[in-house]
Amino acid sequence: MNWKVMSVGLLFCVPLIFVLAKGFNYDPRALPEELTGEVAPDFSLNTLDGYPVSLKDLKGSIVVLNFWATWCVPCLQEHQELVAAAEEFKPKGVAFLGVLYGDTKAKAEVYLKKHGAAYPTLLDEAQRTNIDYGVAGVPETFVIGRDGKIVKKYTGPVTKMELEVLLNDLLSR
Amino acid sequence: MSGGIGISILGRSMVLIALAISVLGAFSGIAGGMKRSDKAWKWARICAYVAAAAMTIAIGLMEYALITNDFSVSYVAKVGSTTTPLWVTIVSLWSSLEGSILLWAFVLNGYIAAFAYFTKGKYVEHSSYALGASLSVAVFFSFLVAGVADPFIAMDPVPTDGPGPNPLLQNHILMVIHPPALYLGYVGMAVPFGMGVASLLAGKIGAAWSVALRRWILLPWGFLTVGIILGGWWSYEVLGWGGYWAWDPVENASFLPWLTATAFIHSALIMERKDGLKGWGIVLLLVTFLLTLLGTFMTRSGVFNSVHSFTQTPIGPVFLAFLGFCSFVSLVLLSTRMDVLGSKQKAVPVVSRDSMFLLNNLLFAAFTFTVLIGTVYPLVHEAMTEKKLSIGEPYFNELGIPLSIAIVFLMGVGPALPWGNIDRQDALKRLTIPVVGGVVAIVLALVFGATGFTPLISFAVCGFALMTTLRELIEPAAVRVERKAESWGKALWTAWSKTRRRTGGYVVHMGVIMVAVAVTGSGAFKDLSEVTLKEGQSVEIQEYQLTYTGKETVTESHRSSEIAKVSVLRSGREIGVLEPKLNNYFRMGSVIGTPAVHNFLDEDLYLNLVNMNEDGSVVGLQVITQPLVLWLWLGGAMMMVGTLISAWPSRKRKRLSSTTQQESA
Repeated sequence: MNWKVMSVGLLFCVPLIFVLAKGFNYDPRALPEELTGEVAPDFSLNTLDGYPVSLKDLKGSIVVLNFWATWCVPCLQEHQELVAAAEEFKPKGVAFLGVLYGDTKAKAEVYLKKHGAAYPTLLDEAQRTNIDYGVAGVPETFVIGRDGKIVKKYTGPVTKMELEVLLNDLLSR
Repeated sequence: MSGGIGISILGRSMVLIALAISVLGAFSGIAGGMKRSDKAWKWARICAYVAAAAMTIAIGLMEYALITNDFSVSYVAKVGSTTTPLWVTIVSLWSSLEGSILLWAFVLNGYIAAFAYFTKGKYVEHSSYALGASLSVAVFFSFLVAGVADPFIAMDPVPTDGPGPNPLLQNHILMVIHPPALYLGYVGMAVPFGMGVASLLAGKIGAAWSVALRRWILLPWGFLTVGIILGGWWSYEVLGWGGYWAWDPVENASFLPWLTATAFIHSALIMERKDGLKGWGIVLLLVTFLLTLLGTFMTRSGVFNSVHSFTQTPIGPVFLAFLGFCSFVSLVLLSTRMDVLGSKQKAVPVVSRDSMFLLNNLLFAAFTFTVLIGTVYPLVHEAMTEKKLSIGEPYFNELGIPLSIAIVFLMGVGPALPWGNIDRQDALKRLTIPVVGGVVAIVLALVFGATGFTPLISFAVCGFALMTTLRELIEPAAVRVERKAESWGKALWTAWSKTRRRTGGYVVHMGVIMVAVAVTGSGAFKDLSEVTLKEGQSVEIQEYQLTYTGKETVTESHRSSEIAKVSVLRSGREIGVLEPKLNNYFRMGSVIGTPAVHNFLDEDLYLNLVNMNEDGSVVGLQVITQPLVLWLWLGGAMMMVGTLISAWPSRKRKRLSSTTQQESA
C-alpha cells in the first residue's frame, strides 16, 4: 500500500466531493453576492482623458460603479438609464464611474460620443479591477456606500428606477 | 395508445436486460482476468455484445416513439410536439436529461462491444480485466436508465401534445452533431479507464499494451476535440454574442478531460519507448474518466449555474455517489498496485525530447488544475460562506493564455530535439529554422496590422511550432528523395504511410497551430459597431457596405421568423445577401435571434438583428468583424483528420500485437 498516493488522492477527492454534495443545498441563482457588505476593493485608474481616479479619494460619498463594454448589447440598453440616474443624483453627491471591461479606449470614446456620457469611464488595462470585483460578464454594477462597503451588486442591465429607490434610501440614512 | 404502453414495456425490458447482462459480463470479465480463464473472458465478450444489442433496440424504440409522436411514453410527452419538424424530433432524443442518458448508455455499450470484438484473443493479460471494468461502468448507466432517468415511463392519462424541445436546440443544424460528438468523446473515455484499471490489476504494462492504450484513447480524444470545437461553433452561430468560448462551467467540463487525455497521449509515448511514466500515465487515464463524470455531473445536477444546465434532478446525488465510488476505487487501486508497474526510465537530460515530454505533461497538469480550480472554487466558496462568487474570463485568460503559449512553444521545441543525450551545437542548429519561422510570423502579423505584446508573441510561437511541424512532416520524404532518388510525390506517400501514427500526430499539431492562430486573431482584433438602417439605406463599416433591402416573414410549423435582408459589398465586390433573423417559437413563447455569418479566409462578418419595428421599415443591426475565425473550424477538422490517420488500424500493428500475444502466451 502506497500511503503517499492514497493520502494525496483523498486530500483532493474528499473535499471536492463534499463541496459538490453541499452544492445541492443551494440554488445557484438565489444566493446573495459575495462582495455585498464587504469593503469595496480599492483601485487607482485613469479616466479616458487621462485623469487619475482612486476609490480612496471618494471616501465618504456614495459611488455607483458600472462595468461595461462597447460590444455588449445589454450595456447599451442600460446606458441611458445610467446617464439619467447620474444626472439626477450627481448634484446630491453620488459619484458615478464606469469601468471598461475587455475593450479599447478608442472604441469607448467613439461609443460615448455617440450615446452621450454623464460621468467618467476608467481604463482597467491590466484587468486588475475587473478581477478584484469578480466581474464575470458585463454589465455589472456595484453601489458602494459612504462607509466604503458594497451595498449591492446588479448583474445585467440596471434601470433608473432600481437605482433611484436604492440611492434615495442611502441618501436618507 | 396501446402501442405506446407496448413501447414503454418493451423499452424498459431492453434496458433491464442490458443491466442484468452487464452485471454478468462485469463479473465474468474480472474473473477471466484473475483466473486467466479464456472461458470467462469469452462470456464477458458475449455479454458485451448482448448488452449493446439490447441498448440498440431500446434507443431504436425511443426514436420510433418520438417520430410517431407517441405521447404515452414519458420522454416523448416531455420533449415531443406534433408541430416540430422531423429532424428536430429525431435529435430531441438528446435535448433533455433522460434521453441523453439513454444515448450515453447506448454509446457506452457500443464502445465496449467494439473493444470486445477488436481485442478478442489479444493482450491476454489485460483484455478480460478491461472488459470487466468497462462493463461495470455500463452497469451504472443502465441502472440510471432503468431507474432515476427512466425515459420509458408509461403516461396515464396520455397527453395529446407536448411542448417540443428547448428552442435554442431547434435553432441550428449543429445541434444535430455537437452533443453526439461530445458524447462519443466523453463516453469513449470509459474504455481507456477500464484498460487503466486492467493495467493496475494485471500489474504490468508492456509496449504492446501501451500502444493499445494510446490507440483506444485517440478516437474518443478526437471526438472530444470535435465536440468541443463544434460546441464553440454552435455557440458562435446560434447564440449571437459573436464569441465561441466563455469559460462557462460546462465548457470547462469538456475541456478538463481533454487536457488530461492530451497529456496521456504524450506520456504514452514515453511509456512505450522508454518504459517510463507508467504510474503517472495510469493516473492520467483514471483522472480523465473521473473528469468526464465530473463534467456530466456539472451539466446534469443543477449545482452549477450555466446556460447548459438542466434543472435540478434526482440524478445529481446518484451521479455524485458514482463519482465518489469511482474515485475511491481508483485510489485504492493506485495506492496498492501502482508500485508494481515499475518504471524503468532513467533520469533524463535537461534538454532533450524526453524532458520536453515531461514538461509538456507538467504544463497540461497545471492547465487542468487551473481550470478545475476556477470552475469549482465558486462552489467551495458557496459551501463555506453561503454567498455567491463568480470567476470569469479574466481569471481564465490570465492563466490560460500563458500556459497555451508555452504549450505551443513546446510543440516547436520537443519534436526538433532528438531522444536522449544531445549535442548542444546540434540542438541549436535544429532550432534555427523554427526561430526564423517565428520571426517571419511576427513580421507578417505586423504587416497585417496586429498590435500588442501577447498577440505578437502568440503568433511568433505559432510560426515557430509550424516550422518544426512542417519539417517533421517533410524531412523523412526529403531523405528518401535524396538517397533513393524517388519523386517527391512517391517519397511523401511512402514516408507518411510507413509512419502513419507519427504523421497523424503532426497533422494534429498542424490543426492545433491553426486553432491557436485563429484564437489569437479573433480574440485580440474583434471589432463591433451598431447601426440603425431604414429600408433601402446603406452604411459603410470598414471595407464593407451594408444595405438593408427589406424584411421577410417565414412561418414554419414550430416558429415564425422575421428576417432582415442585408446585401453586402466588400471593397466594392458583391458578397451576397446576409439574413439575420429573430425567431418566435410558438410553444415556448420566446424570441431568439439567429445571427448571419459570412466567412472569409481572413475574417468573418457577423450580423445580429437586434430589433425591427412593426412594419419592418427600420432595423437595428449589430455588426461584428472578427479575423481568422474560419481557421478555428478548419483547425478542428485538421485535428480530427490527424487523429484518424493515427488511429486507423494497420497491418503492421496487427503483427505487433500478435507477436506480443505469442510472447506473453
